[in-house]
Amino acid sequence: MQKEVLYGLYDDEEVLLKAISRARESHMNIMDVFTPFPVHGLEHAMGLSESRLHISGFVYGAIGALTAFLFMTWVFTRDWPIIFGGKPYWSVPAFIPITFEVTVLFAAVGMVVTFYTICGMWPGVKPAVLDERITDDKFCLAFDATHSTEEERSAMEGFLSSSGASEVHTKNV
Amino acid sequence: MNQFAFESKQKIFLLGAMGLGVVCMVLTFLVDDPLHTRFWSNFLHNSVFFTGIAFVSLFVLAAFTTAYSGWHTLVKRIWETYSLFLIPGLILMGVIILGIWGHFHHLYHWADPAAVAEDEILQGKSAFLNKNWYTIGTVVILGIWAYFAWRMHRISVQEDLQGTSDFSHHRRYRYWSAAFLPVGAFTSAALIWQWVMSIDAHWYSTLFAWYATASWFVAAMALTILTVIFLKALGYMEEVSTNHLHDLGKYAFAFSIFWTYLWFSQYMLIWYGNVGEETIYFRERLDHYPTMFYGNLILNFVAPFFILMRNDTKRKFGTMVLTSIILLLGHWWDFFLMIKPGVYHTAQEVLGHGAHGGGETGHDAAGHAASTFHAGFTMPGLLELGTFIGFLALFLYFVFNRLEKVSLIPPNDPYLAESKHHTVWPY
Repeated sequence: MQKEVLYGLYDDEEVLLKAISRARESHMNIMDVFTPFPVHGLEHAMGLSESRLHISGFVYGAIGALTAFLFMTWVFTRDWPIIFGGKPYWSVPAFIPITFEVTVLFAAVGMVVTFYTICGMWPGVKPAVLDERITDDKFCLAFDATHSTEEERSAMEGFLSSSGASEVHTKNV
Repeated sequence: MNQFAFESKQKIFLLGAMGLGVVCMVLTFLVDDPLHTRFWSNFLHNSVFFTGIAFVSLFVLAAFTTAYSGWHTLVKRIWETYSLFLIPGLILMGVIILGIWGHFHHLYHWADPAAVAEDEILQGKSAFLNKNWYTIGTVVILGIWAYFAWRMHRISVQEDLQGTSDFSHHRRYRYWSAAFLPVGAFTSAALIWQWVMSIDAHWYSTLFAWYATASWFVAAMALTILTVIFLKALGYMEEVSTNHLHDLGKYAFAFSIFWTYLWFSQYMLIWYGNVGEETIYFRERLDHYPTMFYGNLILNFVAPFFILMRNDTKRKFGTMVLTSIILLLGHWWDFFLMIKPGVYHTAQEVLGHGAHGGGETGHDAAGHAASTFHAGFTMPGLLELGTFIGFLALFLYFVFNRLEKVSLIPPNDPYLAESKHHTVWPY
């Protein structure tokens, strides 16, 4: 579905952070904020709840640890027992490095896939970029103006320019 | 409040705890075997543990200063006073040296001329493992560390009193820090070989020095966290926030994992290589010290790993106090396991129990005498705990006594403002 986005471009992240606080104080519904680099305190200013991505990371890691350990246990005790260097079949110390590595692999790949899925990014997806300068040196505060009345729009525009935005644009994405 | 006042009731409490330690040491001495092995091994154990905490504090300061770290400035006075404990540490280790020369104890197999005479391996190592090198190594290296600690502390205090806008004190502090890094990094290995690894004189491991230093490191972080929380509870160091606590917790967490990595690397290579003279070290501990052996991993890896993994647990005072106590005792427990089995072996051999066969086999055969429970060796007993409390009280008394003489917050440190604004989460 097409959205009509009304956004302001800021030159400085401190001005942007102040604008976000002001917008939240006056109960304006911020659609999203785009910055060229991670801005400290941004999610706090926007009032975003804590990411749950790390919980998924723990779960993937635990699955990876179990997968690796149980697979090696099955292989070396049931499926194809081989004696290596006079060690017992079930040689736990030898399994630990591989268990560790598969844990890291599962956690890392799982978190990347989860993150990309949440962000709707897949191979072939063309992300809608409001303004290419957002990837360089501009900070963007965007409002959803699809269903806004004319007064609401002028209020948003007024807010953006009064809070320090150097440019205000509207774009359909 | 930036000026710590060492109140008399704290002094009395700590002196009482020291008294408890002395009583426990006297009791240990009385109930001991004729060689007083338990007494001397407890003395060595605690001296090495607390001197190591002082060393790591100095190393941390040097590393952070060299790396242009700013966040630690609010807590750096704690490490500066910790590192001054290297001076009493020199005295404590001096007692061990006197014991070696006067044959008061038999902690070290290689210090016994009769054992060396009939032992080819000890003869081969005697170029390094002898009384002269032990004395020179300990006195010179510990002396250099103590000099660095004293020097850096003095520069820092001068900065408080006469700090100038050209940061000349900080620059000098930085030179001394950078100079200490290579010195500390290389010499700490030699001291650990002499103090701890040479107890099992037949055995060696190239990873051992790293592993023991990592153990000291976590213990130092745990004690730092406890001191910071204690001082905050008394109303000092208001500006030290949960953000600083979070970073200290990260160090405790990260170095717990580092310790486990080194512990496991050492264990697995020896297990996999399966060379008799190497595996005997772990065989001995697995057979006769299983609770200590697995408990070591639970206290120092499993507990901190799962407790400190989340962000918010590192920001809660209660959780951090609990975890720090676990880690401090856990690494004391780790050093117990490094020191006691070897000392027990040597003592059994000197006392003539199970030393039949002589030489190499005698040293191994002595291990089988330890198959039953031996108070103070198989597990730390109440006397060991009392001795630990005594040494801890001595350490804290010294630290608080020094802390009282300086400002808790270095007012002229160029990184003070950065430390005050330190924010890690939630940004």
